[in-house]
Amino acid sequence: MTIDDRNHRPPSASRRLFLQRASLLSGMIALGGGSYLYNPKGVWAADPIKVGIATDLTGPISWGGIPNSQVAKMAIEQINASGGLIGRPIQMILEDTATNEQLAVTKVRKLVTQDKVDVVFGGITSSMRNAIKDTIVNRGKTLYIYPQLYEGKECMPFLFCTGPTPAQQCDTFIPWLIKNGGKKFYLPSADYVWPHVLNEYARKTIVKNGGEVIGEEYFPVDHNEYSAAVNKIMSSGVNVVFNTTIPPGVAAFFKQLNEAGFQKRGGRLACVYYDENALGITPAHEIEGLASCLDYFRAVNDPFGNQMQAQYAKLYGEKALFTAGSGSTGMYRGIKLWEAAVKEAKSVKREPVAVALDHAKISEGPGGGCEMVPGTRHVKMNMYTAVSKGGKYEIVEKSKGAVMPGECG
Amino acid sequence: MSSVVAFFFDVLAYSSIFVLVVLGLGVIASMMGIFNFAHGEFVLLGGYTVYLFHSLGLPVWTGMVAAPFAVAMVGLVLERVVIHRFYATPIVAMLGTYAIGLALRESVRSLLGGQFYSVTAPLVGSFSFGEISISRWRTAVILITAVVMVGCYLLLTRTRFGLKVRAALENPALARASGISTSRVYAATFTFGAALAGLAGGLMVPIYAISADMGVPFLIKSFLAVMLGGMGGFEGAIAGAALVGATSAALPWAIKPVVADVLVFVIAIAIVKFRPEGLLSKWRS
Repeated sequence: MTIDDRNHRPPSASRRLFLQRASLLSGMIALGGGSYLYNPKGVWAADPIKVGIATDLTGPISWGGIPNSQVAKMAIEQINASGGLIGRPIQMILEDTATNEQLAVTKVRKLVTQDKVDVVFGGITSSMRNAIKDTIVNRGKTLYIYPQLYEGKECMPFLFCTGPTPAQQCDTFIPWLIKNGGKKFYLPSADYVWPHVLNEYARKTIVKNGGEVIGEEYFPVDHNEYSAAVNKIMSSGVNVVFNTTIPPGVAAFFKQLNEAGFQKRGGRLACVYYDENALGITPAHEIEGLASCLDYFRAVNDPFGNQMQAQYAKLYGEKALFTAGSGSTGMYRGIKLWEAAVKEAKSVKREPVAVALDHAKISEGPGGGCEMVPGTRHVKMNMYTAVSKGGKYEIVEKSKGAVMPGECG
Repeated sequence: MSSVVAFFFDVLAYSSIFVLVVLGLGVIASMMGIFNFAHGEFVLLGGYTVYLFHSLGLPVWTGMVAAPFAVAMVGLVLERVVIHRFYATPIVAMLGTYAIGLALRESVRSLLGGQFYSVTAPLVGSFSFGEISISRWRTAVILITAVVMVGCYLLLTRTRFGLKVRAALENPALARASGISTSRVYAATFTFGAALAGLAGGLMVPIYAISADMGVPFLIKSFLAVMLGGMGGFEGAIAGAALVGATSAALPWAIKPVVADVLVFVIAIAIVKFRPEGLLSKWRS
């Protein structure tokens, strides 16, 4: 072949190439990315109930989205294995919202308009919930259940929140911190909605219990250099660091704080999203004595939770654990409460299910049973305070009965 | 007194980490004119190598030694397969490397299950002098950065390889006419830049924990550092990095961290306005 030949290729070659690429591209668009359909096993006479799960399987929030989707799948398979719900199997449609709010709106619109799901579970961050709730509830006329611990104040009709609220995470925890740490608090925080609103509540609770807030400081969410804050903490005699800075920066912060000798001089580290997954973020000795308050820890050691853990580990291994901080307990609770509501309503229609869900109750769950507080669309649940020792949590306090969410009342 | 020492140590430690990250980026950007948006992910791969060694039960420092070599191999393969096609079109190179970075980041994310893992530093704890405590590992990072900086400088100014690299940058046509294979030099430079990123990632892991987004917070500020330092010279990138690193670490001592984060960019833009050629640029001279 001469050089001339190469320069005068027959036009069909590039046309073929164009057709190949065009078909590949259109194929990719048609299939869409990150949609997964899980059909119920076995043969069923009735049409399936469709459950939409929209969560972050990729992107920075996938630490929560991955275990969330796994526990949802496990719970739905359990329901199907025990004969389905009101005689019908459940089909799960999982959408990856990729930690991207714009993309998520498109994904949930697909769920409510194209798939016509009967309920949507999902969202980890508050910004995600705020981005998708209108599409689901108002335009899609669909029930929405949000599983993660959050800052509260979400009182939209047909939106039920099944994770702990600031009242649940602070009311028993802060008095414990004052008793087991001291009165001087420092609130280092990431600069987004959850820390701001949570700190408002925490500050009130601290003052009410005789403590004082020495400093409250906000850092960019991807901040990773905390020497100035560590110095202020060390030089002002702070007893309790109530942390709401987030990963990945939190690793550097805890390390710097530990190396500066905060724990050595008797300081108490506290962080209310810290669960068993988060224990991996820093070496155990750097967060020795860290206290957290959540609706479930493995260390609660309840038979129901243990059995769930064993089954979860068998299905998904030990990488993304079933924990409270990832919203996974909230997801399980949400699905079971919704199941109870559908059973009572004998329908999957939004209005009757919402009426039944308003007072739904489950007797068993990880960390104990729970129930909706009528008229608030929030859940009353047991709360546990745990302290990290040698890389494991030990339960140091259990709430006296279920704690009220204190929202929308 | 103790807080003065803490201040200078912390500013120096953070600047060192930052210089280490920018070094690789600066070498590639100033020697080849390619803005490598996958740099953060090269840093991540370095960290991931250390994590792999750690999870296999090998000593952490062996992982840190292996990280630059592992990432260099990835860099070399990418350069030969993809990046070398972009040399004529820097804008396409940005988009292309961004895509590569995204693919690498999400691959590591799925390997880690989206979670964060810690790696214990080879040197644990801190030196205490009275009230002052100085982190051992950060001290080590400062020293390693100094050694690497000097090493890079000698490599690029005192060796045959450095001469070829500079020749290929200044006048590619003449370099080729003189018998230098510019494509090989570019491949070697890119590989070298990747190795530096790998080293930075390996040394950073004990401080920041491994997660898929480990390299992301550094990327934009690294570009700022390269811009500030001026293209064309490798010392410029270091000066830029030191300045950006130091202001990022120092400003939160005086003002709100959220404001400080923005102010770093404002200061940098102001400097670029008055010295558009960069702090130490040879570009237009």
